[in-house]
Amino acid sequence: MLKIDNLHVRVAGKEILKGLSLSVNAGEVHAIMGPNGAGKSTLANVLAGREGYEVDQGSVEYAGRNLLELEPEQRAAEGVFLAFQYPVEIPGVNNTYFLKAALNAQRKRRGEAELDSMQFLKRVREKLRVLHIPEDLMNRAVNAGFSGGEKKRNEIFQMALLEPKLAVLDETDSGLDIDALKMVADGVNAMRDPQRAFVVITHYQRLLDYIVPDFVHVMVDGRIVESGDKALARKLEEHGYAWIGERRVPQQSRVGAA
Amino acid sequence: MGVALLEEFGIGDALAREESWRYSKTALRALGQNDFVEADAKLVVPDDLRAQFDWPETRGRRLVFVNGAHSPQHSDAHALESGAMAAQGGTLAFAPTRDGESLHLVYLSLAGTAAARWNASAAIRIAARGIRIVEQHLGTAGADVLGSLRTSVDIAASGEGSLVVLCDLPDSVSLYRREQVGIGARGSHASAHALFGGRLQRHESVVTLAGSQSRHVARGAFVLRGRQHADVHLDVRHVARDTACDVLWRGVADQRSRGILHGAIAVDPGSDGADARLQTKNLLLSAHAEIDAQPVLEIHADEVKASHGATVGQIDANALFYLRSRGISAADARSLLIGGFCREAFADLADPQLLARLGALLDERLPQPAADAP
Repeated sequence: MLKIDNLHVRVAGKEILKGLSLSVNAGEVHAIMGPNGAGKSTLANVLAGREGYEVDQGSVEYAGRNLLELEPEQRAAEGVFLAFQYPVEIPGVNNTYFLKAALNAQRKRRGEAELDSMQFLKRVREKLRVLHIPEDLMNRAVNAGFSGGEKKRNEIFQMALLEPKLAVLDETDSGLDIDALKMVADGVNAMRDPQRAFVVITHYQRLLDYIVPDFVHVMVDGRIVESGDKALARKLEEHGYAWIGERRVPQQSRVGAA
Repeated sequence: MGVALLEEFGIGDALAREESWRYSKTALRALGQNDFVEADAKLVVPDDLRAQFDWPETRGRRLVFVNGAHSPQHSDAHALESGAMAAQGGTLAFAPTRDGESLHLVYLSLAGTAAARWNASAAIRIAARGIRIVEQHLGTAGADVLGSLRTSVDIAASGEGSLVVLCDLPDSVSLYRREQVGIGARGSHASAHALFGGRLQRHESVVTLAGSQSRHVARGAFVLRGRQHADVHLDVRHVARDTACDVLWRGVADQRSRGILHGAIAVDPGSDGADARLQTKNLLLSAHAEIDAQPVLEIHADEVKASHGATVGQIDANALFYLRSRGISAADARSLLIGGFCREAFADLADPQLLARLGALLDERLPQPAADAP
């Protein structure tokens, strides 16, 4: 589904990703861990198409297409979703209105029929119920005045509603208490599907107790330096990232290759 | 003629007038190049214009002025208590005594064959509660029309009223509006202004919190494009104890338009316990547009809570990316953000029908996305 090969990315003139390679197949959950400044969020933003990220070298193939040449809204319609590390507050824009516009824009781009208000609300209620989110969230402005936990819940809710094929979660667990963390994990687990893949970026092993990944990658200095299964996450938790630094850094890592 | 207009609209003192009109002097001078004739009050109101003010919810409570003169033909005020309202020529007197009375005022600037002017005035005295007035300004495109309306609103002790001003003007219409509001003890006044279009719109709102515990809430936004020019002057004066004002405005300027937002709050000596808040945020959508935001606080009392802030900025790239990452096109995302930015100013408007009308007008008048946008 996703094939990143030798990706080099520069932000404001500084090289952040230095030859990152990663393959993700449908149905898989990949966790990416790593210390601050390793380039985890850069990877997430490059995948979603944020401006200001210059790709110097390498390629990103998604569903057989060159992902990098698509606009952010095209990527979304193709099924790419980014749960933001810092969800943006948009005062004055109602959450319901925003999500209906987003979902219908995606459907239109895919050549599917747009949902009318009744169909849309039915789907919203369904997802709210599954995620145990209060309905009044929909009547508020997008993330405006939301607590940190509410913002992250809203991200997961958006993901549930938009039903992406590839969901990238950028430190969705940061700043969450244990209940909110479980809610996020439940949301992801409920959506695990043979047709859908997740890339879960996290600082801490804690989230991975609830979202059990198929693969764990360790990212250091713009590259994946170690890959393994969930046992790797526990090892990291025990020994810290310094332990990785002492090991030999391989040039490339291919786990779960197609 | 430009100088004559300045003298007519401006304050007596030449220096103060100079300062007050500094950003609009050129626009006013250009307007003054016209040899204005008296606007024709007998011009026909086009059906499409009528459709814009013929709201079902205000039937029976509507007064229409054609080029400044009351038009009984287009008005429909049968539900208004007789004696509380009188309109003749360009003058209106409204003094509701029953709680919950409402009035829909419509001022039409109709273009004739030559540049024309009209003058009108309104005197409103509110001794009841829940009095709602909507003042709507519309016009037809063509020759220059310059209207001027002077309104005084006098809110008696414990009176409560709101004034919503909707200006949706074609680019050939100019408007000078001055509203003078006095609020008695425990009285309250809420205003909301939504300003679109116009060759030159000048709005002066002078509010005096005259009685103790009086309160004033002001909301407003202007949305401009082309060469439109809007100049808003808000002056709130606290002259009694324990008074409060809360002013929140939004400005959007695209293309070569120009917006001015001067917001001044003064707290007089002895007016302790005043709580004054003023916030304006402005959005520039083009390198050729200009917005001048000028917050002024003048405090002469000791026990005062006051805050003010004014910003001029551009669309938040982060918010734009957030919306696009959810599938919304760049052009739609921009519209959504600009709309939300303005809507924020009217979020606490109590009348849902009016809010819906305002929202629809906002959507219609929002800057159109550039043709080359993806």
